[in-house]
Amino acid sequence: MPLLENEILQFLRNPAEFEALALKIFEFQRKRNPIYAHYCKSLGVEVDSWKNIPAVPQQAFKRSELRSFPREATTIEFRTSGTTGEGYGRHFLPSLELYEAAVQFGWDFFGLPRHPFVLLMQSPDDAPFSSLSRMGGFLAAQQRDRFFISKDGVLGIDRLQRFIDSVKGPITLFGTALAFLNLPSTKLPLPPASILMETGGFKGSGRETAKEVLYEQLSESFGIPISAIWNEYGMTELSSQFYSSGIGNSHRGPPWLRFVVINAETNEEAETGQAGLLKIVDLANLWSVLAIQTQDLAVARPDGGFILVGRDPKALPRGCSRAMDELLRTSQELRVRSYE
Amino acid sequence: MSGSDLTNRAVAVAFAAKPFPWLGDLSKKKILAWVELELPGFFESAKRKYGEHQVIAKPLSPILHILSGNTPHAALQTLIRGILVGAKNILKLPEDDLPEVSEFIQRLPDELKPSVGKVLEPDWFTAAEAVVVFGSDETVQYFQQRIQPWQRFLSHGHKISFGLIAGSFDQDVVQGAARDACVFDQLGCLSPQFYFVDGDAKAFAEKLAEQLSTLISPPRSVSQEIAASLRAYREEWKFRAATEAGVIVLESPKSLDWLVIYDPSPTLEHNPLHCTVLVKPMPKGLEQSLEPIRRHISTIGVHPADARLVALAIKLGAQRVCAIGQMQNPPLTWHHDGWPSLASLIRYMDVEGG
Repeated sequence: MPLLENEILQFLRNPAEFEALALKIFEFQRKRNPIYAHYCKSLGVEVDSWKNIPAVPQQAFKRSELRSFPREATTIEFRTSGTTGEGYGRHFLPSLELYEAAVQFGWDFFGLPRHPFVLLMQSPDDAPFSSLSRMGGFLAAQQRDRFFISKDGVLGIDRLQRFIDSVKGPITLFGTALAFLNLPSTKLPLPPASILMETGGFKGSGRETAKEVLYEQLSESFGIPISAIWNEYGMTELSSQFYSSGIGNSHRGPPWLRFVVINAETNEEAETGQAGLLKIVDLANLWSVLAIQTQDLAVARPDGGFILVGRDPKALPRGCSRAMDELLRTSQELRVRSYE
Repeated sequence: MSGSDLTNRAVAVAFAAKPFPWLGDLSKKKILAWVELELPGFFESAKRKYGEHQVIAKPLSPILHILSGNTPHAALQTLIRGILVGAKNILKLPEDDLPEVSEFIQRLPDELKPSVGKVLEPDWFTAAEAVVVFGSDETVQYFQQRIQPWQRFLSHGHKISFGLIAGSFDQDVVQGAARDACVFDQLGCLSPQFYFVDGDAKAFAEKLAEQLSTLISPPRSVSQEIAASLRAYREEWKFRAATEAGVIVLESPKSLDWLVIYDPSPTLEHNPLHCTVLVKPMPKGLEQSLEPIRRHISTIGVHPADARLVALAIKLGAQRVCAIGQMQNPPLTWHHDGWPSLASLIRYMDVEGG
């Protein structure tokens, strides 16, 4: 195991100085990843802080194979959903060790309960390219019967109901927002003290108002308070996750995951309170690039977290390019998360 | 249509259009010449000999115009057409304001002022003899499904415009290309999104960027969503420039004012507009490259505007061909999306005998 991987694992267990390790990983990746090295060179940035480590645009994962390890050592490939003609983004790993550690330590960092997991997603066997399924697998200790969406995408609602009925104590229900919204049954009360974790956002109408509506609906359907509903914000191209609970609370990351809000006009750090594009630096992303420029809008909060602003569909780019989008099948991805 | 009524309407339109030079030459004389060209003789008398019988031209009225928010140009054009044929007009405005439309209406005499609203009243739709819709293909389809068999439906869905340049080009061409691309922040159907250059495409891209950097335009404000899209697009292309052979990104520094991308690949690319221009070498299989947008081509600007390039543009499926620099200035008499723009708003009545 490379020393740096060990050092990162150590950081995940016992967080130390973020910046020093970030710069070390940056150097590692620049040396081992020629595509990233070209990109850094073209930007000509002098990197002296974790904040100005060149961030690769998320879209670049669709066109380039961003590996900081030899291609032949690849054992895992995660893919974004890639519903557009542009194809899907790919994230390659030589092993799952760091990814699993980031998932597990991140979950525990926020004190998220490890009640019996009920996962509204496909199992990793059925969806080998899904990072979300892999995450669910780690959390549920690889118990296949905890996944309630079949290989062909059908939700086993009867099995889900039976499982919930059979569990004596609280559960942790985790799935994509879409899976929750598509539940055929309107009421499925969870045992007291259960929590619900949704991910995947609101696909294009992600204003907080839309989130409020969603959470009210989930709260009613599952008989749990809104404060027991969490959002996990992550992406296939990253290894770590941000979490928030309820409505109006910031998304926070574990100590090895930081962000900068970038002013879209100037491409520099936004002023406090100003919305901008989220740039993420994830120390667990050793095997690709640690800094990623997302297309998601957020506002930094004084508590050290951020609020996702989402996009108002009415304010989206318009004009004749929309036809071009449709014709070329490259419509802009507006989703908050693009898991397989 | 009586001649004096038409003249009065032409005078009123000419007056109302004065503050908007981008509408073209809308003098009374030009307007009357336009009407005469499309509807010869109809405004001189109620009945006109037509073959073996007589014909009366009546406007379809009222006309409901459903407008889109990208530019005021198309909105005013369609209203002017409705006024000139003598119809009552109803404007369904987009959610975002089009201040130019309000100003134009203010300048009209009361009897020619259209009914206006941001919310589509149900009786507007049922009363309309003609419905003109601007918008995405989706919007157009939505209204098309609600059209009654007796209503005339005129749709202006999405269109894409671009330029073809062959051989050498001088500064005038570059200036024209830059102007064409930036009018109305590139949101109009006549706004070129890319140029294919048969010659030194890279030099054209550089000169275009230089020109865009000197264009003085009023400071524009875009929503944070649009700014985010423009920034994401720009950064993605910068990554491509660093990692793909031949791609060059020329950008406005520390702002999103303009962007020129030189891309050697013939494949068409998405364009987020707002002064974003792609320049590509003209490929051998140009028709093939344009296949995905073939049915949506509006204007092809050409340089030089010679027989060869005009013939090529027509073959590619242009609805309109013009010189580069003139893409945003269609003549009054143009066939917007392929139709006679006044005659399409007319119902003909044939009278035999009497």
